[in-house]
Amino acid sequence: MIPLLCTASQMHTPVLGTLIAIYVIAIGFLGWRGWKKTSNQRDYLLAGRQVHPFVMAMSYGAAFISTSALVGFGGIAGTYGLGLLWLVFMNIAIGIFIAFVFFGYRTRRIGKALNANTFPEFIGKRFKSVKLKLLIAMIIFIFIPLYSSVVLIGGARFLEEVMMIPYSWSLAIFACVVAIYVIFGGLKGVMYIDALMGSVMIGGMLLLLIMCFVKLGGVAPAFQELTNMAPLVKERLPEAYALGHRGWTVMPEINSVWWWTLVSSLMLGVGIGALAQPQLAVRFMTVKSSRELNRAVLVGGVFILCTVGSAYTVGALSNVFFYRSDLGIASNFSQLAIEAAGGNPDKIIPMFIREALPPVVLYLFALTMLSAAMSTMSSLFHVTGTSLGHDFFRTIENSRSDSTLVTRLGVLSGIIISLVVAMLLPPGIVARGTAIFFGVCASAFLPAYCAALYWKRATRAGVWASIISGVASSLFGLLFLHAKEAAGLGICQAIFGKPVLISAHPWPHVDPFIYSLPISIAVLVIVSLLTEKLPENHLARCFKK
Amino acid sequence: MFGLGDNAITAAMLGCIISTAVCVIYGAINWNRSDDQKEDKK
Repeated sequence: MIPLLCTASQMHTPVLGTLIAIYVIAIGFLGWRGWKKTSNQRDYLLAGRQVHPFVMAMSYGAAFISTSALVGFGGIAGTYGLGLLWLVFMNIAIGIFIAFVFFGYRTRRIGKALNANTFPEFIGKRFKSVKLKLLIAMIIFIFIPLYSSVVLIGGARFLEEVMMIPYSWSLAIFACVVAIYVIFGGLKGVMYIDALMGSVMIGGMLLLLIMCFVKLGGVAPAFQELTNMAPLVKERLPEAYALGHRGWTVMPEINSVWWWTLVSSLMLGVGIGALAQPQLAVRFMTVKSSRELNRAVLVGGVFILCTVGSAYTVGALSNVFFYRSDLGIASNFSQLAIEAAGGNPDKIIPMFIREALPPVVLYLFALTMLSAAMSTMSSLFHVTGTSLGHDFFRTIENSRSDSTLVTRLGVLSGIIISLVVAMLLPPGIVARGTAIFFGVCASAFLPAYCAALYWKRATRAGVWASIISGVASSLFGLLFLHAKEAAGLGICQAIFGKPVLISAHPWPHVDPFIYSLPISIAVLVIVSLLTEKLPENHLARCFKK
Repeated sequence: MFGLGDNAITAAMLGCIISTAVCVIYGAINWNRSDDQKEDKK
């Protein structure tokens, strides 16, 4: 799904090859350093709980922001406009500030008090239930391959287009490079490399944004020009207009299909869902004290603004470039971005860079994209491996020995599963993988996670019921109610003879998160109030200062 | 404002910038503050 960036004749392969070689050497060095400094499970799982705040914040940001965010959503901004800036706001306000200040501190403190090394272990120990830990670990390694395979495919397609390597080789090379540094380097290797990748991502995206504004004559003139193009939506994109698109610098029509997608799936689903991602939550436990988290808030906020803020702004502004004939785009002028991209939003950002900006920006952007993909994948592989190895198998074996080896085997298994999923599952299912993962994680884990941090009255039974009801209601929504997944998967059609159970607007466009999260919260509260509280001495230990 | 078409988008843009500023200011003010100091203030 990653489009052709340039033809072989246009590309300066030696230059790009050299840049990539330097990059790979840097990754190799940092991965080796991670390996040398990993001597026990605390190093492998939590980077020794001694991570530098800059590294922690960059790692959090880089794990958070993948190619889906930059190219995928950037392309959506190119098609539908700046309404997506609300997602950036949610990512900063909730994904960074609320996450670090209201979730991070307590996660670190309680995690340390309970000697928890992973997210499943955190919840399991907090609610004194080994089976709960196993349940969460299972949910993680069942659903994460759906997300990691999407990112894997994206990265491999990118390598395929930029380096002209056949797709299956790209897939294998990509998976191998990430596998090596995750398996051997553990979380230390992953986080050092994330810091490098995060820096590349910020640099690349900021350069892109600045060049864009410079070429268009400034911030206000650029946006004004985009605003002036609004009438073109009705004229040139009648289908998008029917879905609610009213222009690239205005919100979509309220209660339209696009409005519901923007607000329920993107702003709320992804924006709030980010709080319950196990591969992000674990990073709160990698720092020594809250001082490091405070410092990381500063870095994290700037990171998100510079990466996705730039990507969505550039995506929307690309319409101006494609429309005007005097900005150096020879063959594509008088087109809208989505038209120039042949109807494929994923092509908008790469095409814009290729057409409008100097080649060096393209190369830096290629590295930025590879960084975004690899950093996200490494975090997913690491958390899959820890769930399979440390949380699941080690618990089943009732072992107390150091878990580094079994976790490494877990990571390897996770990568193989992701590769298999990437190669075998049909594109329709894989493309929906990200949405399924975010939605299920959020409804399953967010109430339990909040309760673990703040609600002493929450009980083990309440958390069990909440997680199960969250997963069940999410899956029900994805299979039978939300058109994008339900129609794509076809199960509803096969059983009930129609693509979705409720066709009345707006239900096919309401993200399952909107109802599965409240259900999960309600179940947690009701069942907790009806069941026995956890022992006071245990609670005192969890919440001790 | 800024050449944007409606107030909601302007609000989104300002929201992004202000929330980043809040992160930066918060991080800067609490740069050296750690768990122990926070507990004393409670």
